[in-house]
Amino acid sequence: MAPRPARAALLVAGLLLALLAAGCGQGPSGAGPITLVFKHAKILGPADPVPGLLRRFEAEHPGVRVQSEALTWSSDEQHQFYVINLEGGSPPFDVMMLDVIWVPEFARAGWILDLTAQVPPAECDAHFASAIEPATQDGRLWALPWFMNVGLLYYRKDLLAKYGLAPPETYDELARQVRLIQAGERDPRLDGYLWQGKQYEGGMVNVLEALWANGTRVIDERGRPFPEPERAREALAALRGLIESGVSPPWVTAADEELTRRPFGDGRAIFLRGWPYALDLFELPDSRVRQRVGVAPMPRLAHGPVGAASTGGAHLAVSARTRHPALAVELVRFLTSDVAQRAMTEGAALRPSRPALYHDAQLIARDPTLPALLPLILRGHPRPITPYYLMLSTTLQPEFSAVLVGRKSPARAVQDGIAQVRHLEQALGR
Amino acid sequence: MASPRCDTSSRRSAADVTDRRLGWLLLAPALLLLGGLTVYPAIWVIWLSLQYRVPVFGIARWAGAAHYAFLTVDSRFWNAAGVTALFTVASVALESILGLAMALALRGQQRGRRVAVALLLLAWALPSVVTAKMFEWLYHPSGGLVNFLLGGRAVNWLGDPALALPSLVLADVWRTTPFVALLCYARLLTIPAELYEAAEVDGAAGVQAFARITWPLVRPILLVALLFRTLDALRAFDIMFVLTGGGPAGSTETLTVYAYRALFQTLQIGFGSAIGVVVFVLVMLVAWAYLRLINRQEAAA
Repeated sequence: MAPRPARAALLVAGLLLALLAAGCGQGPSGAGPITLVFKHAKILGPADPVPGLLRRFEAEHPGVRVQSEALTWSSDEQHQFYVINLEGGSPPFDVMMLDVIWVPEFARAGWILDLTAQVPPAECDAHFASAIEPATQDGRLWALPWFMNVGLLYYRKDLLAKYGLAPPETYDELARQVRLIQAGERDPRLDGYLWQGKQYEGGMVNVLEALWANGTRVIDERGRPFPEPERAREALAALRGLIESGVSPPWVTAADEELTRRPFGDGRAIFLRGWPYALDLFELPDSRVRQRVGVAPMPRLAHGPVGAASTGGAHLAVSARTRHPALAVELVRFLTSDVAQRAMTEGAALRPSRPALYHDAQLIARDPTLPALLPLILRGHPRPITPYYLMLSTTLQPEFSAVLVGRKSPARAVQDGIAQVRHLEQALGR
Repeated sequence: MASPRCDTSSRRSAADVTDRRLGWLLLAPALLLLGGLTVYPAIWVIWLSLQYRVPVFGIARWAGAAHYAFLTVDSRFWNAAGVTALFTVASVALESILGLAMALALRGQQRGRRVAVALLLLAWALPSVVTAKMFEWLYHPSGGLVNFLLGGRAVNWLGDPALALPSLVLADVWRTTPFVALLCYARLLTIPAELYEAAEVDGAAGVQAFARITWPLVRPILLVALLFRTLDALRAFDIMFVLTGGGPAGSTETLTVYAYRALFQTLQIGFGSAIGVVVFVLVMLVAWAYLRLINRQEAAA
């Protein structure tokens, strides 16, 4: 054992060394660690795979630290956060998670970097076309897909089997099945078809799906609203008809995803339009509809060749104000890679944007719903790909809502909608 | 030579001047802070409202009064103004009547006052978004408590344009009545019991005692509570945003929800600011009217 003075000297020397090391790290001469800031919504699900993925990226890039900063889960609030920070020019971040519908807008605003040169075409082709398409503007790529969403028609397997029915392909068929099952079950608490008719983005999605189901669109390539007004009127009338005929309860006009997911999960509805996240919740051990839920493509209307569900999901983009563009692009490519999406699928029960993973035996063992989802995603439809999408959506939402609650006729709403969109175009000087 | 009396008065006025200077000096930090935090942004918003500004599309040009001109014919704006007015009048009226009644009941209560006050505070202390989320489930047409208590009727509270606004008013009343109640209750506690005893001796009790003693003494504080509540109600946002998003069919879209949609969802900074300015002017006018009323009452007292 060393005498006391020697130990004290050692201690002092150690402290000095530590100070020196710390000084070097902070000093301008030393190559200090680079910090990338990654903004994303908190990933829900059994085990958040993001921290592990980021540590792995750091291990592969010595001297780089990735700081993950959580956003709220509400899409509206995320958008607001980005707008204030990107427009206001406050604290910089490098990589950000974007809702797919914002990518064209952010690209147009110059808030995100053009990734075209850094991402080889083969890498894009490995993702669903319906996920790459909305991230592309004027032939340039602005973001890479992180995970995928698609609208689904959930149905009660047990009830349909009991009455010898196959999942409906048209809305008429759906209505007939609801009446048949409701008449047979004699349960006044069993609702027919639940969907989201509240005045919000989710309601917009439901209306868009009805328009596509009737072979039309809300806006064409040249930006003209309601290119086939007659078909749009029919689609809106069909949605209103679901409520008037009692196939859907009147309260769907105020319903969002969770308000419809819960009654269906309690076994109190036959059909539900929802996103894939609900699948996992329906299969939880204490779920009342465990192993009694099937998924099918969304039904079609008279003029639609097939029903079409909306796609959705999150993309990753690089902030235009990043100080480390090359590294930030690296991080985006890593997080959207095969390896990372595998981890996201296993850990967070999110659906990958790479079709190849839907055939992967190992992943299917963890998530048996993947094979059933693949054809549904392939039939999915992106929402209108335009920087004006949010304006279009918030402008039209009250019109659509007015039809769903019976305050306006479909014809009047389409007419007013056209006038509103025209006014918007004038204000934008287009 | 000045009389001693004159001398003291001039000395006093000199002291007044230095006092006033010191007063301004002491006020300066607060004024600067207020100026920086409220006046400057207000002027900036007015400036923005006179321009076409949509940063996403690189639009930034002078608009003059164009936004305000459009507002005069914008049906969505007038609808929002009507909704705001209805919501404000209905919620503030209910809150003040119920709040005063609650305060009177609290004073009359013999036991458990503290518990009652704590329970009242609970509703007021909850963040409004939490309250809104709670009401979303209470109002749920098939699984909600409200319909269950009504005997399992499927009333479509938030999805029916005729019921949506009243439902929001109820939620707001539930949340903010305690605020009015507590203010009134605090005032009631300061009314000396002798006043009532004296009134009783004079043969005035019950309604008469309320009209002659309680009401005149509570009225000023109630007015202050009303001022706060009216200004809050005019700017109501959270409850509609969470519960209905302004729907169905725009039947619950207030001016602030419309401004939010224009500003943060569609990034029409200029147009959204114009709506914001209208709300600002409205709030100022109402505040001014209330303050005049309160001042006049004080003068009368």
